[in-house]
Amino acid sequence: MFKNYIKIALRNLWRRRGFSLINIIGLAIGMTAGFLILLYVNFERSYDQFHTKKDRIYRIVSDIKTPSDSFDTSLAAWAVAPTLEKQFPEVEAAVRIMNVSMLVRKDDIKFKETTTFAVDSAFFRVFDFKLIQGDPKTVVKSPFSIVLSETAAKKYFGDQNPIGKSLKIMEEGHIATVTGVMEDMPENSHINADIIFSLTTYTQVLEKDSDLDNAWGNYDPASYILVNENTNPDLLQAKFPDFLEKNSGDEMREYKMFVTLFIEPFKDVYLYSTRGGNGSGSITNIYIFSIIAIFILLIASINFINLTTARSVERAKEVGIRKVVGAEKQQLAVQFIGESIIICLIAFLVSILLTTLLLPFFNDMAGKIVSPGIFSTPFHIFTLLLLSLTIGIVAGLYPSFVLSSFKPINVLKGNFSTGTKGVLLRKSLVITQFTISIALIIGTIIIYNQMNYMRNQELGFNKEQLLILETNATESQETLAQAIDNLPGVISTSLGSATPGGGNSSAYSEIQNKKGDLQIANLGLYFVDYDYISQFDLKLLAGRGFSKEFASDSTEAMIVNEETIKLLGYNDPNEAIGAKFKQWGREGQIIGVIKDFHYTSLQEAIQPLTMRIELNHYNKLIVKVNAENSTRTIASIEKKWQSILPSAPFDYYFLDEYFDRQYRSEERFGNLFLSFAILAILISCLGLLGLAAYSTLQRRREIGIRKVIGASVSGIVNLLSIDFLKLVFIAFIIASPLAWYAMHQWLQDFAYKIDIQWWVFLLAGSSAVCIALVTVSFHALKASLSNPIKSLRTE
Amino acid sequence: MIQITELEKYYATEEVQTIALNKLSFDIKEGEFVAIMGPSGCGKSTLLNILGLLDDPDGGSFIFNDIDVTDFNERKRANLRKHNIGFIFQSFNLIDELTVFENVELPLIYTGVKAAERKKRVDIVLEKMQIMHRRNHFPQQLSGGQQQRVAVARAVINEPKLILADEPTGNLDSSNGNEVMQMLTELNDQGTTIIMVTHSEHDAKYGHRIIRMLDGKKVTENILV
Repeated sequence: MFKNYIKIALRNLWRRRGFSLINIIGLAIGMTAGFLILLYVNFERSYDQFHTKKDRIYRIVSDIKTPSDSFDTSLAAWAVAPTLEKQFPEVEAAVRIMNVSMLVRKDDIKFKETTTFAVDSAFFRVFDFKLIQGDPKTVVKSPFSIVLSETAAKKYFGDQNPIGKSLKIMEEGHIATVTGVMEDMPENSHINADIIFSLTTYTQVLEKDSDLDNAWGNYDPASYILVNENTNPDLLQAKFPDFLEKNSGDEMREYKMFVTLFIEPFKDVYLYSTRGGNGSGSITNIYIFSIIAIFILLIASINFINLTTARSVERAKEVGIRKVVGAEKQQLAVQFIGESIIICLIAFLVSILLTTLLLPFFNDMAGKIVSPGIFSTPFHIFTLLLLSLTIGIVAGLYPSFVLSSFKPINVLKGNFSTGTKGVLLRKSLVITQFTISIALIIGTIIIYNQMNYMRNQELGFNKEQLLILETNATESQETLAQAIDNLPGVISTSLGSATPGGGNSSAYSEIQNKKGDLQIANLGLYFVDYDYISQFDLKLLAGRGFSKEFASDSTEAMIVNEETIKLLGYNDPNEAIGAKFKQWGREGQIIGVIKDFHYTSLQEAIQPLTMRIELNHYNKLIVKVNAENSTRTIASIEKKWQSILPSAPFDYYFLDEYFDRQYRSEERFGNLFLSFAILAILISCLGLLGLAAYSTLQRRREIGIRKVIGASVSGIVNLLSIDFLKLVFIAFIIASPLAWYAMHQWLQDFAYKIDIQWWVFLLAGSSAVCIALVTVSFHALKASLSNPIKSLRTE
Repeated sequence: MIQITELEKYYATEEVQTIALNKLSFDIKEGEFVAIMGPSGCGKSTLLNILGLLDDPDGGSFIFNDIDVTDFNERKRANLRKHNIGFIFQSFNLIDELTVFENVELPLIYTGVKAAERKKRVDIVLEKMQIMHRRNHFPQQLSGGQQQRVAVARAVINEPKLILADEPTGNLDSSNGNEVMQMLTELNDQGTTIIMVTHSEHDAKYGHRIIRMLDGKKVTENILV
């Protein structure tokens, strides 16, 4: 019996090739989209899950309150982790991980390594990163011990065994000894570095004087603890206030910086933590993409249901005959569900092919290797297979129910009508499809608008033609700046500790506020030179810029932004001039106020920022170059660099590109969103195309009669199109408020955002109408141009 | 074999109710060949559908093979139908997607006959109907007469006790029509009960008895043999 079903199913598919193609392609595209998203979501969810002790590892994070403000960070003070390990028996081990970007050299091979970690010795005990060589207990114990990933080992040592060999690290060229080689860290790890070295390098040697293991006010490393089995994290967290009070209560009161410690389950850090830190994912994006996947699969299934029920008229005769010769309703239902499963399985095969083809592009778009290839994960294939079977059954259920319920006498006698029940269902399904599609179009437009807005927003500083060189605080950087300044094609140079979009340090500060008190706050801090403000075209609102004419400027002067004086209670920038400050061992007064500029991405609001001259604390050389011949200018800058700083790699970037890099994840999100929106619309249109074909087929006789009576071609196209346009219009009415709400929520993540304009809806609605119109009128036109005699005769 | 008593059937649209069968009663004995005649709309086809267990009456009773089937549900009717009744239609009603062989085989599939047995039986019937050479063709590739022979083959494959024929020659030319009538006669000779709805006096004469209907009622009955 099954052979018979399969046979007839395949023959049916073949006989209605066009229809089958629409059905299968629609489903296959839907499944492919669903599959890609499944891979993406699974990959994101797999972050950090490979650690065997993941359930016992926690990250310690801090909220810090000063009298002026509060902020939360993914870090904890240097002293927290080692002290926890000492004082709490349930804490088995603690690991601090400090992200360092440093110069690494071996003979002529030199690289600026941007992600190296300085870690405590328990690192390889707590985490499951595999050492190929070296003893996990001791590899990163003594100062200047370094562990390389296989890739890094190859980079510096080729095929030689690196163990026991040395590398020069940092500008100073400290000699570090390779004590271990580890497997490359997996991509789905939020802790990810190519080079790891001992944190004792800092605590016992480089920063020995700072006594970092007992420093309660310095925040550099991220801290992780491994606790005993049976440790209740909430109870542990509840003990933290006492712990802080005991160890640093006096210090906190003295500096008026009050810290609260929290613990975050390690396995949730990547997706759920809102504190950032090393690479972070977004559970919201996971939800958004999952919903889109469900939507797309829904649209594809709806197509399937619609096309199959619309076609039921054609199958009615077969149903009648089968019933007459003895088929029972259930047998027929099984047959039709079976057919729909067959279609889904074909779609499944097509989608495997499509996914294989698209995966490289998708990986590229997602910015990571979500999956090296679908066949590398049989589990995923199995899931998709299961998914397609489910779609086959679910989507086949209704049509098979409809078909198997046909009364044989009706269909065989030919006085069979489709009835209005199915029509209503089909219409509501089309509305659902277009609601989703229109909502996705609206979403896409708004995302792109927001991206555009962020890119083109007046940032308050000039980012054009600025070349940033990473000098890493070498002593000769001023010589270098001077030399480069004299090169042809170079307009000006400046030195600083930070540039917009590149992050900055912050400092415990005390500044005189409007009431005259010294107000404590944690403020953003840029170390700049005399030319920095003009280099970036920052606008002075009051006072003056730094000047070499005032000798005290290099030690006692501070320039602040508008946000800072707002925080201090001043209404007029001029009032703030002369206010006293204490910061990082310096005392002096405010000499100028600059207009706020966006030194972070537009997702974040502008924060208070202070600027001071601090020679020897610069690590970036900002070069303004002439737009013409910039390639030649860069080449001559490099030459100069090589002659003055031969030991350091020439590392440069353009500020505008660097600043826009902050929007890369939004851009990726936007591109992915757009791609899936296009897919959704495409599948909806395929469905509409099929439905239009059948609806014109059904109305063939009506069209014939109308034509005989004298209807024009355009009249008939209108007649046929208007029905579908009505549905699209209803979908538009439903989609607009839903999309508005969702996108309004999405925009809340941005400190600077667009207002959602009415034309977005108009554009989305009219493009949906146009797309639908083109799709439908193809068939409408064909029907209206056909000879009426033909259609009347066939009835 | 068949006893119908005061059989009633109505069709209702929103505003009009049409009586298709109006307290119709008659008996048909096993082995009979009965022709039912009457103008369009007199209820012949409705009657045939009820007799074929494709439709249920709104009133009266229907006894088939000594079993009261008036209130049988669809499943029971389907079960009874597939073992006991064969149908032949004016428009042949073959499944276009199936070959001649597969069309004839279909009833055997639904009665659960094993594949090897099916092949044997289908081949025998196709041989008998002289369409063996067409066994792998699709219905559209056959002439009307050939299609109706396939339909007859399909109707008899399960060796039903009753064959219901709804204007079996309506779409055929006279020579093909006669051929089909000849086949029905042969089947009847072998003991199959046949009830045939027809417009053709010529065809009706192949039967033993003609029941003439008008407005859902039996008006006359001629016994021919």
